[in-house]
Amino acid sequence: MKLGLVVDLDTCVGCHGCATACKQWNTSGTIGPLSDQDPYSKDPSGTWLNRIRTYEVGDTPNSKTVHMPMSCMHCEDAACVTVCPTGASYKREEDGIVLVDQDKCMGCNLCAWACPYGARELDAEQGTMKKCTLCVDRIYDLKLPEAERQPACVLTCPTRSRTFGDFDDPNSEVSQLVRERSGKQLLPELGYNPVNTYLPPRNKPVAEVHAQASVSQTVKGWVNKIITR
Amino acid sequence: MHPAFSVLIFTVASGAGYGLIFLLILGHLVGISALQDQMLILVAGITSLIFISCGLLASTLHLTNPKNAWRAFSRFKTSWLSREAVFAILFYPFVIGYLLAIYLQGSQLNGLSALLGVMSLVIAFITLFCTSMIYASLKTIKQWNTALTPVNYIVLGLMSGSLLLLAIQAMLAASPATDLYNLAFVFLAMGAVVKSIYFYWIGKPSGSTIKTATGFTQASVRLLDQGHSSNAFLNNEFGYTVEADKLLRIRMASLGLSFLIPALILMSTSSVLLVLAVFVCLAGLLAERWLFFAEARHVVRFFQANKKD
Amino acid sequence: MTSQDIIAIASDLPDFEDHDKQEIKYTTCYMCACRCGIKVTVEDNKVRYIQGNPNHPVNKGVLCAKGNSGIMKQYSPAKLTSPLLRKEGTERGAGEFEEISWDRALDIVEKRLSHIRATDPKQLAYFTGRDQMQALTGMWASQFGTINWAAHGGFCSVNMAAGGLYTMGHAFWEFGDPDWENTKYFMMWGVAEDHSSNPLKLGLKRLKERGAKFVSVNPVRTGYQAIADEWVAIRPGTDGIFALSMIHVLLKNKLVDDEFLIRYTNSPQLVVNTPGKVGDGLFYRQMTEDSKADEGTIQIWDLQTETFADANRADISPALFGEFTAADGTPVRTAMSILIEKYLDDQYSPEVAAKECGVSAEDIERIALEMAHVAFKETITLDVEWTDWAGRKQDKFIGRPVSMHAMRGISAHSNGFQTCRALHLLQIMLGTIDCPGGHLAKPPFPKHIPPGIKPAKTNIPNTPLKSPPLGFPTCPEDLVIDDEGKPLRIDKAYSWDAPISCHGLMHMVISNAAKADPYKIDTLMLFMANMAWNSSMNTAQTLEMLTAKETDDTYKIPFIICSDAFNSEMVAYSDLVLPDTTYLERYDTISMLDRPISEPGAACDSVRTPVIEPDRNVLSWQEVMIEMAGRLKFPAFTKADGERKYKDYKDFIINFEKEPGIGFLAGYRGEDGTKSLRGEPNPRQWEAYEENQGFFEYKLADNQRYMRHANKDYLSLAKEAGWVGSTDQIIIEVYSEKLQKFRLAGQGLYDGPMPTEAHHKERLAEYFDPLPIYYVPLEEQRIDREEYPFHAVNQRPMFMYHSWDSQNAWLRQIMSQNYLYMNRVAGEKLGIDDLSWVWVESHNGKIRAQIKLMEGTNENTVWTWNAIAKRGGAWGLSEDTNEATDAFLMNHLISELLPAKGDSYDKITNSDPITGQAAWYDLRVKITPVENGETGAWPQFGPLKPQPNAKPSPSTLSYTSHKNVNIIRGWADTLLTGAKHVGQKNKKAKKS
Ligand SMILES: Nc1nc2c(c(=O)[nH]1)N[C@H]1C(S)=C(S)[C@@H](COP(=O)(O)OP(=O)(O)OC[C@H]3O[C@@H](n4cnc5c(=O)[nH]c(N)nc54)[C@H](O)[C@@H]3O)O[C@H]1N2
Ligand SMILES: Nc1nc2c(c(=O)[nH]1)N[C@H]1C(S)=C(S)[C@@H](COP(=O)(O)OP(=O)(O)OC[C@H]3O[C@@H](n4cnc5c(=O)[nH]c(N)nc54)[C@H](O)[C@@H]3O)O[C@H]1N2
Ligand code: SF4
Ligand code: SF4
Ligand code: SF4
Ligand code: SF4
Ligand code: SF4
Ligand SMILES: [Mo]
Repeated sequence: MKLGLVVDLDTCVGCHGCATACKQWNTSGTIGPLSDQDPYSKDPSGTWLNRIRTYEVGDTPNSKTVHMPMSCMHCEDAACVTVCPTGASYKREEDGIVLVDQDKCMGCNLCAWACPYGARELDAEQGTMKKCTLCVDRIYDLKLPEAERQPACVLTCPTRSRTFGDFDDPNSEVSQLVRERSGKQLLPELGYNPVNTYLPPRNKPVAEVHAQASVSQTVKGWVNKIITR
Repeated sequence: MHPAFSVLIFTVASGAGYGLIFLLILGHLVGISALQDQMLILVAGITSLIFISCGLLASTLHLTNPKNAWRAFSRFKTSWLSREAVFAILFYPFVIGYLLAIYLQGSQLNGLSALLGVMSLVIAFITLFCTSMIYASLKTIKQWNTALTPVNYIVLGLMSGSLLLLAIQAMLAASPATDLYNLAFVFLAMGAVVKSIYFYWIGKPSGSTIKTATGFTQASVRLLDQGHSSNAFLNNEFGYTVEADKLLRIRMASLGLSFLIPALILMSTSSVLLVLAVFVCLAGLLAERWLFFAEARHVVRFFQANKKD
Repeated sequence: MTSQDIIAIASDLPDFEDHDKQEIKYTTCYMCACRCGIKVTVEDNKVRYIQGNPNHPVNKGVLCAKGNSGIMKQYSPAKLTSPLLRKEGTERGAGEFEEISWDRALDIVEKRLSHIRATDPKQLAYFTGRDQMQALTGMWASQFGTINWAAHGGFCSVNMAAGGLYTMGHAFWEFGDPDWENTKYFMMWGVAEDHSSNPLKLGLKRLKERGAKFVSVNPVRTGYQAIADEWVAIRPGTDGIFALSMIHVLLKNKLVDDEFLIRYTNSPQLVVNTPGKVGDGLFYRQMTEDSKADEGTIQIWDLQTETFADANRADISPALFGEFTAADGTPVRTAMSILIEKYLDDQYSPEVAAKECGVSAEDIERIALEMAHVAFKETITLDVEWTDWAGRKQDKFIGRPVSMHAMRGISAHSNGFQTCRALHLLQIMLGTIDCPGGHLAKPPFPKHIPPGIKPAKTNIPNTPLKSPPLGFPTCPEDLVIDDEGKPLRIDKAYSWDAPISCHGLMHMVISNAAKADPYKIDTLMLFMANMAWNSSMNTAQTLEMLTAKETDDTYKIPFIICSDAFNSEMVAYSDLVLPDTTYLERYDTISMLDRPISEPGAACDSVRTPVIEPDRNVLSWQEVMIEMAGRLKFPAFTKADGERKYKDYKDFIINFEKEPGIGFLAGYRGEDGTKSLRGEPNPRQWEAYEENQGFFEYKLADNQRYMRHANKDYLSLAKEAGWVGSTDQIIIEVYSEKLQKFRLAGQGLYDGPMPTEAHHKERLAEYFDPLPIYYVPLEEQRIDREEYPFHAVNQRPMFMYHSWDSQNAWLRQIMSQNYLYMNRVAGEKLGIDDLSWVWVESHNGKIRAQIKLMEGTNENTVWTWNAIAKRGGAWGLSEDTNEATDAFLMNHLISELLPAKGDSYDKITNSDPITGQAAWYDLRVKITPVENGETGAWPQFGPLKPQPNAKPSPSTLSYTSHKNVNIIRGWADTLLTGAKHVGQKNKKAKKS
């Protein structure tokens, strides 16, 4: 299996719902807690596994605003894993999920340096590296209702812009979306081969205009039609 | 990239240390006359060990969870950092054995001490190489991801090593030995050349852009919001920025201190001044390391914008 | 991935959660007013996880950023922990409090209020902010007997409510929704987030999937606008002319739904055409001898019989156009004739409109014609049999799949009411009201136009009001003024200043009370309103008004009670603070009598039930209301024998009946809980809601889902449920005779109350046009456009709710400082750099703010995120926090009065002249770079005090509801896996 996410840039409104759902689930999740520094004073910061960036494409007046949520891409060639000296970082054979074993990490940061997508954040309080677990502690929790065995960010997305699934299975929803909407990888040139894929904004629908009345008609006054109430 | 002081110290010190021991033993083995002196070998050897060990200690300072540092030996198979750690430790028994042999039976080599010597210098060199590869292997940082990185690092290590060696030799035997003297000169020249090539090379734009980072290749792309209004881990780790003119000044300083001034000092053959040359050079190399980080731009910066006040 | 894979893999993994220790409870989110259903996992009284309830009609399982951060609200250090009384001898605003017991607190309130009630009830001014319990608080106020009650609608969006309710009986805002499943063309006007925030997002997704076109009209391109197919970067305040110009285009091309107009609207009705005479512009009525004015029946011209006929008969074919002369010689013409004449005028042509609104003439014409194409050429029909108002069977619903949604970009301007009417008129011309694919009402709407409640005027000691404090005036007689025409209410609602202010003018209360204009009050009671900060216009001066004193050193506003749950800015300016529970700790109802959570296809309501135990000395405001009602012996809360009727809130909700069988909760009624909408009280009603995941949903039958203004199948149900008073057709009011009556009063042509002051006359004559008009927003009329070249507006951040969330450790990381956003090109023209600090100056004052240049903003507009700034020390925040030092509040620039010019308008509220809606977005500013490199937000107010005995806020958080269960990577895997990291399966991990 090759598990990952598809994110639809055509519908993401940048609400940050997935980011906070992620924070909420994972702070009590398998790699939790996700600590926060200066939570109630100047320059608050903390450990997040999913952040939303906003870009403007094009110049005034023809600009488009695009929201880009980013979490671990669970890359197929995950240099974050190869560089890790302790073996805390690893990519699971059975589903391709990239994880950090919290008991092994020594906090050297090298994996974060090796990650092009800013997906890894060192937890200042715990001293270990944190990253998206693809909610491994939800998707495999057989005690959860089947429909809820999904990543927290996917379940919560109010525009349903996030889809989770197996990219190895050509019939999975994610594979279909990637095909039909010609999904894109970020920074493909670096060769990490990220699994998470982004669906570019759709082309605008064509809207027809109603035929205009000819001048002769418009100058003619309005005529009453017999219409019963 | 944020230049962590501990890492600067580590790379400069261990670079010089390994360079020194490498040249020392090599010279001893190939029989350079000036290096057949027991006292010199012991003093230089110990000095290199001090440099190397301080470096290693410094390197553990930036770990946020040092209790797991020992696990760094686990991933020899893929991790250059792991390999560096393994070789750095492996180095000790051989070099200590070698120095012990010299201590006990003087500078004449026998089979065992020669073997220990050979092993030490080989491992020293490999360790230098591994350290440089930690950086060179990162595709995320264009300024590091080049063969120039190991070449630079090794040459500068040997250069500082050669200066150290010369200084120690000159201190002990009132006057500097010509071939060590020439060796230092050659390395200073090489160092200046490779570093200049590096500076020229990173000047050329290439690699990823905000367009490939966002997938919008048709039009201009601007980051409007990074999703958090105060700096967070990624800003602090990768957001390091220095004004261009300041960078230029530090470049000049680094070139001057690392190569030019030591070279000038070398002209005057006074042993005391040689020691000064070593320190000037090491200072220059610290600046060079600092630049190595400060001038490195991680691709994550396309996704981040540092808070200005 | 097959389920076998999953099971196989799962078996290799540890048990992450101890599910047996966990408990799942359902309640309703209150991180904002959208009121999504939530499913809360709790373990040892700690919240593990808050997720959307997949079965809930509102959010269908999704949650927004706020809803997902409920944990950090529950654990906020700003939570109030005990009733607070301002310390003897300390000044209001100093925040010096002593903690007191609830008994003492309630006694103080009882003593004070019973005196007021026994002497001069209106001396209690009771105003509520971002609450959702107006049914209870409003009823409480009427029982108390004070007319001085209102909720936040006046400073929020009354223009949308009134604009809709006076036109079609429902509205935008929370009253209606686009038909997301069927609409093919959607126009969103001035919406950043709105109340139905998750439904909007779910809906937009459906639109995009279905390839419908989404046009967004907004000076700023963020959030929803980011995903619009077309962005119309309109100049603020000019949507009216844009919409009316599109109507011009439709009329020019005869592209109107005349069947819809004739059957469902008053456009064929005959209007008296006697300019300058009493009665001009009123409908022509058939009078019987004894019938008083407007009791006769409105007439139309029947094309078949060629005679005048009663407009509301079914068997007629009314003329849509034409001028006629009545038997009594009165010249009359159809409302539609007036409309056509008006909007075909050149002032509404795209060319002229373009100059005002900045949308090109081509675009105005094209968008109008695109909508016409969808409405008339892409018509959809649903083959569902239904019965119309006259009892005639119809075999299908005709859908004109154009829909719209609009909110505060329209309403927060002083021309917002008429602009809102203009949007509805556009929908009506296209026949897209409550039809498939169009704009749908949410039960209990639509209602008759307007709802038949009149605002109360009485002020009798120890006596409830005859009607609710707020209602819907239809003529000058309904105004709440005395014989001299002076306002009777403290907020001057329903006065000549703002005759149709159906939601009151909460933004004027403090200002008026401090000036004792129209009179002095004794006690100001605020619930869930941060009036000392983000919900007041002109905040800096408002703080002075709150602490202003008489010559005898007593406060001009003698006593201020506030109910809050957190240490907000308002707390410091109160004399008595009653600490509320959090939304996870209390019983609450989201009632059909209030602003329910209904969806177009279903009538819904819901409850909140506690999911965790409060750990503080707090009491929910619901309980306080019931307790006080009992203590003060309100008739509705007292038995004949003088005994208290309801023991607590739960008891009240179960047993209170507004009319037989109708209570706060419409679900699970009747002794056995089997009755819906109407039925006897059910003693197990709360349990029934809990068993049904906290909500009640009554799905409408297919034949009740559309054309509800004229749908007997629906109207009968609505009457049975008490939503409407009769099953009569709700006739859509294209032409508003109600407005015309006020206009006549202004013209001196009304036989009834008329204003005496010139400026009132002018305003009535000018703005109370019975057909929608555009006029330049009032502030813009009174300032020098060149001197103040920029419009300045706000947006709701999707991840923050007003002032609530700066205390939220997660949400404030997303934003603890707001910038002043400006178009890059405009900035470059002024030489203003990105992230530089600037002075922003309005006619009312100046602030210092930090600039962010961007592309997606109208070049004449600057904007910022609303309510990010906070007072240092408030909200459990440190004194030097970003919210206090760098974030800024636009409110300081916005005056509650019109820009002063030394004329009689100076004292008039900065609001819509019709509805009194606060005109937040009329603001115009000038922007200049700071000299001498000053930085930081200005003005600065000293830090506020933490509540007494508050623990210091923590410097780090590591929240978790249980120790994490790590997945341990196996040894062999760690040592032996190669570069391609194809590791072996994980060993069963031991708990770490
Ligand atoms: N997350 C979140 N949700 C909320 C709230 C919150 O604080 N946070 N508040 C709730 C409340 S109380 C309310 S009243 C609603 C308000 O819901 P909205 O109406 O969405 O509130 P605003 O943020 O005022 O959005 C006004 C929008 O209109 C645009 N605008 C300003 N002037 C004009 C104009 O002249 N013409 C047009 N076409 N557009 C204009 C602004 O750019 C902005 O996008 O939101 C509710 N929902
Ligand atoms: N400049 C500018 N100003 C604006 C607006 C704008 O767009 N621009 N928008 C206006 C609009 S539309 C509105 S509706 C107002 C909203 O402004 P307000 O009505 O003041 O609403 P909030 O600021 O959300 O919160 C008011 C108080 O409710 C308290 N509170 C929160 N939860 C609870 C609870 O459970 N119980 C109790 N008792 N109190 C609680 C909070 O602590 C806060 O002190 O702001 C208005 N102000
Ligand atoms: S929750 Fe959905 S819409 Fe909101 S930011 Fe995440 S992906 Fe975008
Ligand atoms: S996104 Fe970064 S952390 Fe995730 S797998 Fe790829 S490289 Fe590793
Ligand atoms: S920080 Fe932890 S996970 Fe990352 S490379 Fe270092 S040891 Fe491995
Ligand atoms: S999959 Fe889970 S961990 Fe990853 S971003 Fe989504 S919520 Fe966070
Ligand atoms: S929109 Fe968000 S905050 Fe508002 S009720 Fe729904 S989940 Fe809660
Ligand atoms: Mo509002």
